[in-house]
Amino acid sequence: MIRYLIRRLNLFLATSLILFIVMFIAVSKFPVDRIAALTGVQQPTAQQITRITQDYRLNDGQISQFIAYLQQRLDGDLGLSSTSQNLILDELTAVLPASFELGFFAGLIAVLFGIPLGVLASLSTNKITQHSIMAITLTGYSIPVFWLGLTLSLWFGVQLGWLPISGQINLLYEIDSVTGFLLIDTLLSDSKYALSAFLDALQHIILPAVTLAVLPFTVVVRITRSAMMTIMEETYIKAAEARGLHTSTIVMRHALPNAFIPVLKNLGLMLGAFASYAMVVEVIFSWPGVGAWLVSGIYQRDYTVIQGGILSVALLIIFLSILIEIMHTALNPISRKELYAAN
Amino acid sequence: MPLLDIRNLTIELDTPHGRVKALERVSLTLNPGEIHGLVGESGSGRTLLAKAILGIPGHNWTVQADRMMWDGQNLMEMSARQRRALMGCEMAMIFQDPMSSLDPAISVGAQLIEAMPENKTISWWKRAADKRINAQQWLHKVGIKNTQKVMSSYAWELSDGECQKVMIAIAVANKPRLLIADEPTNSMELRTQAQIFRLLSKLNQLQNVSILLISHELETLSQWCDRLSVMYSGQIMESGPTADVIAQPYHPYTKALLDNIPDYSNAEHHKTMMHTLPGSAPALQHLPIGCRLGPRCPQAQKHCVNQPSLCHQKDRYFACHFPYHNEPCHDEPLTKS
Amino acid sequence: MPQIKIYQEDHIPSPASRIWSAFTDNPFAFAGLWAVVSLLLLALFGPFIAPYSPEHQDPHALLLAPSWDPAGTVEHFLGTDDLGRDIFSRLLHGAHLTFGMALGIVITALFLGFIIGSISGMMKGLKSSILSHLLDALLSIPSLLMAILVVAITGPGLSNVFWAVGIALTPQFVRAIHQAVHEELQKEYVTAARLDGANPLQIFWYVILPNISDTMIIQTTLGISAAILDIAALGFLNLGAQAPSPEWGAMVSQGMDNLLTAPWTVTIPGVAILCSVLAINLVGDGLRSALSPIRN
Repeated sequence: MIRYLIRRLNLFLATSLILFIVMFIAVSKFPVDRIAALTGVQQPTAQQITRITQDYRLNDGQISQFIAYLQQRLDGDLGLSSTSQNLILDELTAVLPASFELGFFAGLIAVLFGIPLGVLASLSTNKITQHSIMAITLTGYSIPVFWLGLTLSLWFGVQLGWLPISGQINLLYEIDSVTGFLLIDTLLSDSKYALSAFLDALQHIILPAVTLAVLPFTVVVRITRSAMMTIMEETYIKAAEARGLHTSTIVMRHALPNAFIPVLKNLGLMLGAFASYAMVVEVIFSWPGVGAWLVSGIYQRDYTVIQGGILSVALLIIFLSILIEIMHTALNPISRKELYAAN
Repeated sequence: MPLLDIRNLTIELDTPHGRVKALERVSLTLNPGEIHGLVGESGSGRTLLAKAILGIPGHNWTVQADRMMWDGQNLMEMSARQRRALMGCEMAMIFQDPMSSLDPAISVGAQLIEAMPENKTISWWKRAADKRINAQQWLHKVGIKNTQKVMSSYAWELSDGECQKVMIAIAVANKPRLLIADEPTNSMELRTQAQIFRLLSKLNQLQNVSILLISHELETLSQWCDRLSVMYSGQIMESGPTADVIAQPYHPYTKALLDNIPDYSNAEHHKTMMHTLPGSAPALQHLPIGCRLGPRCPQAQKHCVNQPSLCHQKDRYFACHFPYHNEPCHDEPLTKS
Repeated sequence: MPQIKIYQEDHIPSPASRIWSAFTDNPFAFAGLWAVVSLLLLALFGPFIAPYSPEHQDPHALLLAPSWDPAGTVEHFLGTDDLGRDIFSRLLHGAHLTFGMALGIVITALFLGFIIGSISGMMKGLKSSILSHLLDALLSIPSLLMAILVVAITGPGLSNVFWAVGIALTPQFVRAIHQAVHEELQKEYVTAARLDGANPLQIFWYVILPNISDTMIIQTTLGISAAILDIAALGFLNLGAQAPSPEWGAMVSQGMDNLLTAPWTVTIPGVAILCSVLAINLVGDGLRSALSPIRN
């Protein structure tokens, strides 16, 4: 097991290193002055130039430059935003929690609704139920997310006027940032409007989270359904039936734990697409997260923002996908079988 | 009264090639406390029969029967819920492949404990511990020594023999009256096979469990069973007390099976052909007319294009127009055609 | 006189015809196939059918509603946008950009992925894991981020979308093919072929390739739908096709200004994207279930 963990850590480090190499090459190709591309300083003074040249060893060979680049980035120095002249790291820490909040909610919706619906689809013998669930998921899987977001905001936000369609919270509420997660902050805040602020923030998150949840939801439903269909035909399910167990017991105790394994695996594989979708959703609903920040960065040709955003998001995805893989191995005795057989 | 009495059970399967009769007019009688052997080639419908008795039909089955009496109750008239309740405590089944009959994601112990009966006499908070002890005792009874270790392992960490023992422990924990063993020793080595059969026979003697033992090896079955039924292509060919059937088979198919058993007494000459029936078992969608053995039968005559019905003579059942004891069945008139 | 069958002979269909009959048994998949074929024809010949050129502006017909609306006219079947351009013609011209480019990207990615994936899959040990993990890093960059990176380097434009989506898609193909080849290599019949004296090339060509073709087909259908969605999303974010282009995602983004007054300028291109992706997914789904008895 320890050997396995070390191998995963190794994979994480190797993949991250490749990512840094890719970024380093990309930075050297940015159509701006190299100093501006690396640090975001727009009109550097002579003093700054010498310091930056020294820090990034710009006069040395490519490999030495790369090592210096790696050192700077790992120190947490992501440079300055060329438009706002703030530290990229500060901006990142300001926008990341909002993205996490959105992603977490969307994932929660997807899993909470997706797994029961998938089980229902697999157990139902009614052709109409099966076909309609499959039709819904296939449509959800094919729908372009930006269009879905626009349509939802048009219906529920504008025509029906039920839900707010942009931002994270009504601007009238003043909430001190404690954790960065707005929903928690509103609850922690000691203002007398804390509860109404919380409800307002909750209302704001519904539309973006639902829009973002459509893709993972459909994937979860489909994977759960197909996994359940195969598992219910397995001998051990027949054996459990032969033991006289109730169908609900069989589903809960024997089929679901086995069906959850491929679902978890596919959630890991879906992270990249999920992040892409999250960015679009953030742009549509003006959600102050990494995606919207990055897209505005590219509109303004803010190369340090682009770098910092891509690095952080990609590292996060690498980390999460390896984490999910480890979870998959830890939760799933069957995958340990392979380790067991290999030794 | 027989424990299980089946008359004319027919199972039809819906396949892409149309509906086929996988099991046709099968009758089976099982007395309490006996080991009943069911022998037949693979594909002759033994597993179908076992699953139909237990009540776990596949999704494309159509089951019909004149009667299926379980201890005086008709199984055909029971609801699925009643059948399920019966499965838990009165009937149990162990499967061909023990390793895949255990859930791979849950430890063996948890599955054993799940199968243990609730002891209603003790207070509920002690029941979990009681079940655990019970499970260990059962494991011990089926001949597993290191119970702790086996209970904490997963199915794929155990050998086939151990898995089958665990399955037997699960099956008999509820003290069923009938245990259906569907090729319990398939793909096991001889020593393990002997262990399993000895265990089953001991259970039969000590707990008075009736056992329906399914296998393709007539030789093994003849050692352990009280009665024997021979199936071919979805029909019962012959049935009767083991000793009588072995001593004098009435049906040509039984005789062929007996001839198949290698004879080591050196009575045969060197390099003699082993006795086998010509041809192979027919596919279910291309069954011959009349007696299903007809085209392969050494005794076949013109009359065999009529289907023989199962007839009863002195504790023996057989389905043949020209049985070896030269006493054709009187139940049916020979000049029917 | 009807022919009497004396002998019960089974006609055993070939695998390909069995897949085809399983595929056509599913009416949805078959409908999807027709839709994909017609999309393909539209992508090729759409510009010839289109009644107007995509940039033709009709100053007398600004924001005209679609023809089924009382305010609409048949001349502009799906209405016009704020510059008086015919949406129907723009959709037909855009099919070439959105659908055609998605096809092109997927074919390129499939080709590259096939070569890299099969080489890395056939190799063992360190070399194989370096080749496959090299692309894992690229796989972890979401396609949109990759596009942003490409746009940051080269500036926005339709040709950059090709590179951006292609670079994001290729690792998926490499990984799928690598894994399929690797799994096949573990099978007993590969060992049997090796014991027969087959060299790696023969093993790959005669033993492994027929068994991974279904993975490739499924991955291709997935790739096309992902590519369409990505191209459209980039167009929507103004990172891909630029303003006057009739690319479907860009059309949605151009219609955004008039979302409240003329919702059809957003709805119609959106529905076009939805339908084409849906058709491809239907075909992919049908193929998957038709192939699955053979895969298992």
